[in-house]
Amino acid sequence: MTILKTYVFAFWVEMIFLASLITMILRARQGVKVPAVYKVAGLDAMDEAIGRCTEMGRPVHFSPGIGDVQNAQTLAAMSILGYVAKQCARYDTDLIATNRNIIVYPISEEIVKQAYSEVGKPDNFKIENVRWISDDQFAYATGVTGIMYREKPAANILVGAFWAESLIFAEVGANAGAIQISGTANTHQIPFFVAACDYCLIGEELYAASAYLSKEPVLLGSLVAQDWGKMVGVILILVGTVLASVKNPWLKNLLSK
Amino acid sequence: MKKEVPMAICFILAVLYVVANYFTGSKFITTLKTTLDDWFLIVTAWAVLVGTVNLTQIHGRRIRAKREGYVFSAWLLACLYGMMLVSILIFRSANAIGWKFMYNQLIAPMNATVYATLVFYIGSAAYRSFRMRSLEATILLVTAVVMMLGRVPLGRMLLGGRPYLGQMADWILSVPNSAGMRGIQIGACLGGLATALRIMLGIERGHLGGTGE
Repeated sequence: MTILKTYVFAFWVEMIFLASLITMILRARQGVKVPAVYKVAGLDAMDEAIGRCTEMGRPVHFSPGIGDVQNAQTLAAMSILGYVAKQCARYDTDLIATNRNIIVYPISEEIVKQAYSEVGKPDNFKIENVRWISDDQFAYATGVTGIMYREKPAANILVGAFWAESLIFAEVGANAGAIQISGTANTHQIPFFVAACDYCLIGEELYAASAYLSKEPVLLGSLVAQDWGKMVGVILILVGTVLASVKNPWLKNLLSK
Repeated sequence: MKKEVPMAICFILAVLYVVANYFTGSKFITTLKTTLDDWFLIVTAWAVLVGTVNLTQIHGRRIRAKREGYVFSAWLLACLYGMMLVSILIFRSANAIGWKFMYNQLIAPMNATVYATLVFYIGSAAYRSFRMRSLEATILLVTAVVMMLGRVPLGRMLLGGRPYLGQMADWILSVPNSAGMRGIQIGACLGGLATALRIMLGIERGHLGGTGE
């Protein structure tokens, strides 16, 4: 077996990243102090949003986006759903979780069901509140629009992979008077969320959500490896800029190996 | 066991997919990956049935209780089962003229209509965002005005035929905008990779339910 051409550099980068991730996890397990994570307003606002729904007696709407289950953003959204469902179960607040992807739907249902069980209120779980709307992008958008207007959730949490429907969700949520927390790593949708939502998780903040919300040292430790990766990225950009300025193709050739 | 077994399966399959995506030369791994991809399609097809049951339960209850707007629920179920039955019993193929008619004349225009409503949502979002409430909002407003005028003939006309606004718009897109976007993309890629590795190693279990509190 040989590594595919043009994948050699990517493979070794992934392996080095994996090694640094494991190192940080082992250090966290040994009790080495984990650096503090900066405040993410959007994640801190989750409890505020759920509390608002509890006070107003209105539901929370959660959408994990329209990405499929292989999308890391969807999996990050599932972690947030677990947290939101647990808080909603604790405070007896209805959680409407809508889904577009048919494989993501049963996962959402299981997560919400388990959250209710974990807080000791399995009977409060309402199966009809975890909904599969449609596999079609705009049919899903229309379904969510209907829910926002009919059931008037007081909080609209949109985290995951979104495309053209992002602004429809966010604007409809704003019209319904919901406090809105969004998050995506799809760069073309971030401006829409920033413009229309109260809080927005930008790019990597979405992936850090499970570590941030659970405050588990092992998960927080893994964020350090991410920061190391960013530092390496910055160094590569600077070196690449200098080399490209003197017309040296060494780094370009290395990256394309 | 409820979490350990899925985590073990996840780890083995993740390693297999990493090997299958990066390496070449093993017929066994390629065949196994193709088989697993086929399984995924079969699981997806069955999951549609689960989703259909969920839709029927929710809207069936609404119709039985005659809740507000139950007529729309009835219409939804009629369309869902109507399309399904007609496709299975009469058209039997995605190439049938009748099926193509239903797709091209009903579903496609409805999709286009919903997509078109984005124009109004963009308008209302822009109105709320571009109000000069802070320095950031003012910068956003000025940038947006330059971008909009730089993209339409009016911008050129206002400056007596000079292309300055268009050039400024191009510069904004290709320099500060690209730099910002790429910064976010690098962070997001590393975040995605870290999430995938955390899931692979069984450290992140949020998708299995609970947050590990």
